[in-house]
Amino acid sequence: MKIIKRDKLKDLLNSFAKNAQTLAPVKENDTIKFLPWKGQGEIDLSQNALLPPKDLLFPQTEVMYRYTDGGVQGEITDVAAAAERQVIFGIRPCDVRSLTMMDDVFMTKGYEDDYYKSKRENTILISLGCNEPQPTCFCTSMGIDMMEADGADIVMYDLGEKLALEPKTDAGEQLLNDVDVLEDGAAEKPVAKECQLKADAEGLAEKLAQMFHHSYWEDLSRTCIGCGTCTYLCPTCHCFDIRRKNIGEEGFQFRCWDSCMFSEYTRMAGGHNPRPSKKERVRNRFLHKLQYFPERYGKVACVGCGRCVGKCPVNIDITRIIGELREVSVDE
Amino acid sequence: MSNSVAKQLEEHPLVPMVGEVSKIVDETPDVKTFHIYYEQGKPFTPMPGQVAMLSLLSVGEAMFSVRGVDENHLEFSLKKTGILTDALHEIEEGQKVGVRGPYGNGFPIDFCKGKDMLFIGMGIGLAPVRTMIYHCINNREDYGKMQIIYGARSPQDLVFKEDLFENWHKVPNCGVDVTVDRGDDDWDGNVGFVPPFVEGLAPNPENTVAIICGPPIGIKFTLPVLEKLGFTNDQIITTLEMRMKCGIGKCGRCNIGSCYVCLDGPVFSLEQLKVMPDEY
Ligand SMILES: Cc1cc2nc3c(=O)[nH]c(=O)nc-3n(C[C@H](O)[C@H](O)[C@H](O)COP(=O)(O)OP(=O)(O)OC[C@H]3O[C@@H](n4cnc5c(N)ncnc54)[C@H](O)[C@@H]3O)c2cc1C
Ligand code: SF4
Ligand code: SF4
Ligand code: FES
Repeated sequence: MKIIKRDKLKDLLNSFAKNAQTLAPVKENDTIKFLPWKGQGEIDLSQNALLPPKDLLFPQTEVMYRYTDGGVQGEITDVAAAAERQVIFGIRPCDVRSLTMMDDVFMTKGYEDDYYKSKRENTILISLGCNEPQPTCFCTSMGIDMMEADGADIVMYDLGEKLALEPKTDAGEQLLNDVDVLEDGAAEKPVAKECQLKADAEGLAEKLAQMFHHSYWEDLSRTCIGCGTCTYLCPTCHCFDIRRKNIGEEGFQFRCWDSCMFSEYTRMAGGHNPRPSKKERVRNRFLHKLQYFPERYGKVACVGCGRCVGKCPVNIDITRIIGELREVSVDE
Repeated sequence: MSNSVAKQLEEHPLVPMVGEVSKIVDETPDVKTFHIYYEQGKPFTPMPGQVAMLSLLSVGEAMFSVRGVDENHLEFSLKKTGILTDALHEIEEGQKVGVRGPYGNGFPIDFCKGKDMLFIGMGIGLAPVRTMIYHCINNREDYGKMQIIYGARSPQDLVFKEDLFENWHKVPNCGVDVTVDRGDDDWDGNVGFVPPFVEGLAPNPENTVAIICGPPIGIKFTLPVLEKLGFTNDQIITTLEMRMKCGIGKCGRCNIGSCYVCLDGPVFSLEQLKVMPDEY
């Protein structure tokens, strides 16, 4: 185990940044974000970042390839290059878990998404255990240990004046060996305070499979304003659109985040839309997380980070919904 | 298929292979067929029923049924319905286009082997059905009797006329029956909608697989007829359309319940559809 004093944290990040793009939670305009560490800024480890770090692996907009198109002649001139090495410092256990879901989507079932894969394989994760959950956190209900993070290369604990770092993979070990600002040491793992918010999604998928036509969805959708905030903030939401931008005879194809909460999302040529109203769209969002994803990939697509709970403007709270779905009777 | 081409599609499944439009056939006022030529060999050999993304680089891409013609050509038939298809209807031979794929499951060839085949196509829906018809023609000894039933709105709207009125009549043990909703002065064939036409022809369900594609409304009214004739849900195969962006199960767009039409479809038996949410 390695130890670093909190006031030496910038030195540690500076050392990482020498060899790899290093992303750390920095407070800017009152919001915590993962930003590239350039030696300056206010590192804030007090709570999780508002935006999940998913955009470091699956950027909000991402160029896929470039082309020239002079009328009849067109060709692809450049396919986006493989990713550079990056270190994500201070990613929380819930967000580490969410990457296992991203991995399922982007790297299994017959096709590997090369854009995601090359970033994922070049990313080192340093997790930070949560000593104290936010009021909107319910990760423990989703089977997450607030201190540990399966899949992180290095697990980090907040000891107040100090931070302790424990490598979990060879890449993590190597990274820590390469820096000289750390001291060897031992420390007790802190004991996390319990999440107050709870949700029990265990076994719910089977029930939901019989609830597609339930009146619950209509009722739930009445308050939703279809803003899409929940999907943009969610670390497990992965939908994207593919578009292009032309500049004279050149252009590029890019993908950007999309949301199943928008009506345009499923509207087909000719105007037919299989999800024409908010009822179908809200239903899809919750069934995707709680039934479809479990059926397809064997896990609930919610890690209990609480971002949607905290930021939905009309207070549609997934923990409340899970509770209600448990209660309602299948045959109305 | 050249190895480097196959490798590119494997390594970058979302990046198209650019080919050249070598032939354009006007099928109807709003349907054209495009042959796309690859000097180094076509990028893939699609199975019948599979689809691919066709693009004009600066306009966009969309999913269409694709047929492999020979070593160097892929073929698409497109109905003019929007931004990309309008633009593709304007192009001329020599135009460069992009293709990526093949995507989807395709028709269940092994399941169909040794059986009689009933094909029902409506409008542009004949395009996917035709990929299977060609497969059966090219492997004629593997399949029993073939019966092809096709319907379009009017005589002008009939697609693949050469196939319907010449080529397929030469296929051994293969019947072709065509109907139009509304005839004109030159039309001496059948007039009437597909469902009653099928009912009148009364195809025998015994050891038969029915493959049916067309607009949702046409399928909806033909299914009860097939049921009445004694076809069971596992004998009826159709294809679904959803809006698609990636084609490889990543963008999340084409799900029906936990199934992605781009990966797990677009071909489904009626038996499968009955247990899926009816959200399409
Ligand atoms: C599995 C599968 C197989 C298919 N096979 C075939 C096939 O073999 N042949 C075939 O012809 N088709 C096929 N299709 C359908 C084909 O994919 C669509 O027709 C195609 O996507 C149309 O693309 P487009 O860009 O021309 O239309 P779009 O422009 O995407 O949409 C057209 C419609 O939307 C409207 N629209 C477009 N943009 C906007 C906007 N910004 N605001 C408001 N309205 C707008 C237009 O007015 C028009 O009505 C298949 C689809 C799938 C999923
Ligand atoms: S659904 Fe809400 S609580 Fe669950 S992972 Fe997504 S944003 Fe977090
Ligand atoms: S954040 Fe709330 S209001 Fe906005 S789309 Fe999501 S559930 Fe609806
Ligand atoms: S088209 Fe992207 S998931 Fe099917």
